[in-house]
Amino acid sequence: MNKKNIFKRKTLPALAMAGPVSLWMILFVALPMLYIIYISFMSRGVFGDVVYKFSLESYGTLLDSTYFKVIVKSINAALKTTVLCLLIGYPFAYYIAKKPKEVASRLIMLIMIPFWTNSLMRLNSWLLLFQTSGPVNQFLQSTGFINAPMSFVYTDGLVMVGMITTMLPFAVLPMYSSIEKLSKSLLEASADLGASRRTTFFRITLPLTFPGIFSSIILVFIPSLGIYTVTDMLGGGKVLYIGNIIKNQFGAIRNWPLGAALSVLLIVITGMLIYIYTRFAKIEDMEVV
Amino acid sequence: MKKVISILLTMVLIMGLFTGCTGTKAGSTVDSSNAAPSTELNIYMWQQYISDDLIAKFEEENKVKVNLSYMSDNADAITKLTAGGGQEYDLIMTCDAYMESLVKGGYVEKINFENIPNASNINESYWTAKEYCVPYLMNYIYIIYNKDTSPVEIKSYNDLINPALKGQIASIDGARNLFPIALVALGYDPNSTNESEIAEAYEWLVKYNQNVVAYGNAEQNLTNGTASVAFTYDGNASWAMSELGEKNNLVIADFEKDPVQLGFDLYVVPKGAKHVDLAEKFLNYITDPKVMAANLVEYPYSCPNDAAVEAASDTYKNDPARDFDYKKNVFFQKDVGEAITIYNDYYQKLKVGE
Amino acid sequence: MSISKKQKRKRLEDVIGAIYSIAIYTILYVPVFVMMIFSFNNQRYNYYWNGFTTQWYSKLFTNSAVIGSLWYSLVIAVLATVISVAIGTIGALGLKKYEFRGKKFVNNMLYIPIIVPEIVMAVALLIIFMKIGLALGMGTILIGHCTFCIPYAVVTIKGRISGDGYSLEEASMDLGANRIQTFINVTLPSIMPGVMSAAFLSFTLSIDDVVMSNMLAGAKNSTLPVLILSMNKSGITPDVNALTTIMILVIVIAMVLNNIIKYALKKRNKAEATI
Repeated sequence: MNKKNIFKRKTLPALAMAGPVSLWMILFVALPMLYIIYISFMSRGVFGDVVYKFSLESYGTLLDSTYFKVIVKSINAALKTTVLCLLIGYPFAYYIAKKPKEVASRLIMLIMIPFWTNSLMRLNSWLLLFQTSGPVNQFLQSTGFINAPMSFVYTDGLVMVGMITTMLPFAVLPMYSSIEKLSKSLLEASADLGASRRTTFFRITLPLTFPGIFSSIILVFIPSLGIYTVTDMLGGGKVLYIGNIIKNQFGAIRNWPLGAALSVLLIVITGMLIYIYTRFAKIEDMEVV
Repeated sequence: MKKVISILLTMVLIMGLFTGCTGTKAGSTVDSSNAAPSTELNIYMWQQYISDDLIAKFEEENKVKVNLSYMSDNADAITKLTAGGGQEYDLIMTCDAYMESLVKGGYVEKINFENIPNASNINESYWTAKEYCVPYLMNYIYIIYNKDTSPVEIKSYNDLINPALKGQIASIDGARNLFPIALVALGYDPNSTNESEIAEAYEWLVKYNQNVVAYGNAEQNLTNGTASVAFTYDGNASWAMSELGEKNNLVIADFEKDPVQLGFDLYVVPKGAKHVDLAEKFLNYITDPKVMAANLVEYPYSCPNDAAVEAASDTYKNDPARDFDYKKNVFFQKDVGEAITIYNDYYQKLKVGE
Repeated sequence: MSISKKQKRKRLEDVIGAIYSIAIYTILYVPVFVMMIFSFNNQRYNYYWNGFTTQWYSKLFTNSAVIGSLWYSLVIAVLATVISVAIGTIGALGLKKYEFRGKKFVNNMLYIPIIVPEIVMAVALLIIFMKIGLALGMGTILIGHCTFCIPYAVVTIKGRISGDGYSLEEASMDLGANRIQTFINVTLPSIMPGVMSAAFLSFTLSIDDVVMSNMLAGAKNSTLPVLILSMNKSGITPDVNALTTIMILVIVIAMVLNNIIKYALKKRNKAEATI
C-alpha cells in the first residue's frame, strides 16, 4: 500500500516529466556518442570510413602541432564572438524585457525572423553587399570617402560580423528570459533603500540574471567553436577552425576515426572549460554541469 | 559503482551487436529480376547539372517518376555509396578518381551495356572502369584571367606564385585540385605518391595561398572584380564569360607546356540499387546525342559524348571558354591509394596556416 | 521635484534603448533586405546586380522543387518544435525538481548535442539508423532535429526557472488542484516567456538546419537549406531569393493581421465593459 502510494506520488511524476528527455538523451545522444568514442579507436578504411580494427592512430595524429594551433585559434575566435554577443546582447535583452509581454514577444519574434531565411543566403548577402563592385564600395566611392574600392570581403572583420549576426539570438533569448523574471519590486526596494542605479544594476540585476547569462555563454561559445559555414563563406575558405577540420574528416578529407577522435577531444576541452568556469564563478544551481 | 559497471557492460554488448551485424539487416537483397517494371528512379547528383526539361520528357515518355536529390560535395556521394546507397538511390554521380577504390570495395554494380546502346557514342579515351560507370560530363580545370586588370600574363602554373598577384587569385578548393598543379609546376607527376615531392608541392602552395583571396565561387569573384585571376572549371568560366557579354575581357591562360586537369563526372549504380532497369533506361536516354545536345544548351560543360558534341548548337561549339589550344595536353586524376592521407595532412597544414 | 527627474531619466533611457535596439535590428535585417532586393536581379546566378526583373517570381510558380522543399522544411520544423518544446519543458522542470539515479548523466548528455559539432552527431545517427535498417526520410530528419533542439530548449527554460520556488504550486495543490491542473494553470503561465523563447529557438534551429538534414535525408525530398547548399557550388539562383521574400512578407502580414485583430478585440471588450 505504502509502496504503491510512494510510486504514485514520487516516482510517477518524476518519470512522466524527466522520463521522455532522459530516454531521448540515452537513445539518440548517449548511444551515438558511445559509437563515436568507439570508432575513434578504430582504423581508417580505404574510403576513410571505419574498419573495425583497434588502432590508436587517430589519437596519435592529434599530437601534431597543427591541431593544437587550430584549437587555440578556434577558442580565441569563439571567445571574441561570445564576449561581443554578450556585450551587445545584454542591453538589448534588458530593453525588451522591460516592455509589456505582448510587445516583448513581438520584438523577440522580430529577432528570429531573419533566421527563418536561410543562413547561407544571409551570408551570401553580406558578400553581395561588401564585394568590390558592390553597393557599399560604390557608395563610399561616390561620396569621395575612398578612391579605389576597399576589400571588405574575406577579411576577419567581416567574418566577425557574420559570427555575431549568426549568434546574437542565442545570446539574447536566454538573457531576456532571465531578465524578464526580475521582480520589479526588488528593483524598487533597492532604489528606495538609496542605492544608485549603477549599484542596483551591479549588485541586484546582474547577479540575479546570471543564470541567463550563463545559458547565453553556453549557447554561444560552444557552437561558435564548431561552426564552419561563416568562415567558409565570409572568410573565403582560407582559414580553418576546428569545426571545419572536423567537418572535413567526414567530408572532403574522409577520415572518420580521426573526426571521431577530434570530436572526443573537443568534448573534453569544452567540458574542462565549463568545469573551470563554474568553479571560478561559484555557481551552485548548476545541475546543468 | 556496480550499477555503473553493469550499465557500461550492457552498452559495450550493444556496441558489439552493432558491429557484428554489418548491414545484413539494413538491406533486403536486390532481386533484379523484378516481375513488374520500376516506376520510380532515384538519382543523386550535382545541382544545376541536368536540364529539368529533359527529366520531364523522360518521365513522360516512360510514365515514371524521377526523384533528384543533390549533393554539395563529392564526399557526400562517397558517403552515400559506402553507407548503403543502394537502399535509397539507383544512380549516384561520382568522379573518375574514385572508381578504382569503389570497384575494389564492391560498392558499385556492373552495368549491363546491352541495354545501353547509346553508350557507344562516348569517347573511349575518356572512360575509366568501363564496366561500372557511364561518363556524363567532363571538366577542364584551368586558369582564366582578366586581361585588363591582371598584373601578370599567365603562361604557366609557376606564374601563379608571382608575388605581384597577391590577393588576386580566386581559386577552387580541394586537395586533389590544388596539389596536382603544384606538382606539375615543380615538374613532378600530378598523381605522385612520393612524400618528399608532396612536401615540396606544399611549399609551392604556401606561396600560392598568399595570392589567393578566396577559395570557392571563383568565377563570381572574377566577374565582380574581387580577383583578376581564377583557377576554375571550364563550365563555370563559360558562365562568367557569357555573363559579361560584350564586356568580356576574360581570357584563358595560354599555357605553353603545362597540362591541365581533365576530370569526369560519371554515373554509377550503387550496390543493391532497386530500380536497375530504369537506371539503364535513363543512362541510355542521356547518352542519346540529341538529348545530350539539348542538355548542353543549358549547361555548357565539356562532354565526353562525341556524337552529342557534334550535334550540339553552334553557340556551344564556339564557346570561348573552350577555345584553347592545348586540349590534348591533359592529365587525369588517378586513385593514389594510401597516399591520400599524406595529401590530406599537408592540405590541412596549408589551410591552418600560421 | 525628484519625480519629474525620474521621469526625465526614464524617458531618456527609453529613447537610448529604442535607438540601440533599432540599430541592432537594422544590422540583423540588412542581409535580409539585400536578399529581397536581389530577388529582382536579372541574372542567372546572383553574382552582382544586373538590372530589374520579376521573372523569378513567375518561375517560382512553375518550379515545384523549391516550393516543395520549403513545405517539407516547414512541416519538419513545426513538428520538431512541438516535440522538442514539450519534452524539453517537462524535462527541465522534472530535472530541477526530482532526484533520481542517472540524473547527472542525463544533465551531462544534454550538453553533448550543443558541444559536439552537428556533423558528428549526424554521422553517428546515420550509421545507427543504417544498422537497424531504419529507412531515411522525414522521420529520421525529425529525430535528428529534435536531438539538438531538446537540449537548447532545456537550457533556455532552465535559465528561466532557476531559483524559482515551489510555493505557488504547493498552494495550488493545497487548494485541491491535481498535478496536471497545477501544471497547466499555474506552472506553465509563469514560465511562458521561457517556453516561448525555447519554441522560437527550436523552430529557427530546425528550419535553418543543413547538416543533419543533409545526412539523414531520403531520396525523395530535401529540405530547403539542403537544396540551397547544393546550389552553392554553381551559384544560388534568384528564385530562391524570391521564395524567401515571399516567406518574409507572409510572416509580416500575419503579424500585422494578428495585431489588428487583437486591437479590435480589445476595443470591443472595452466597449462591452462600459455598457
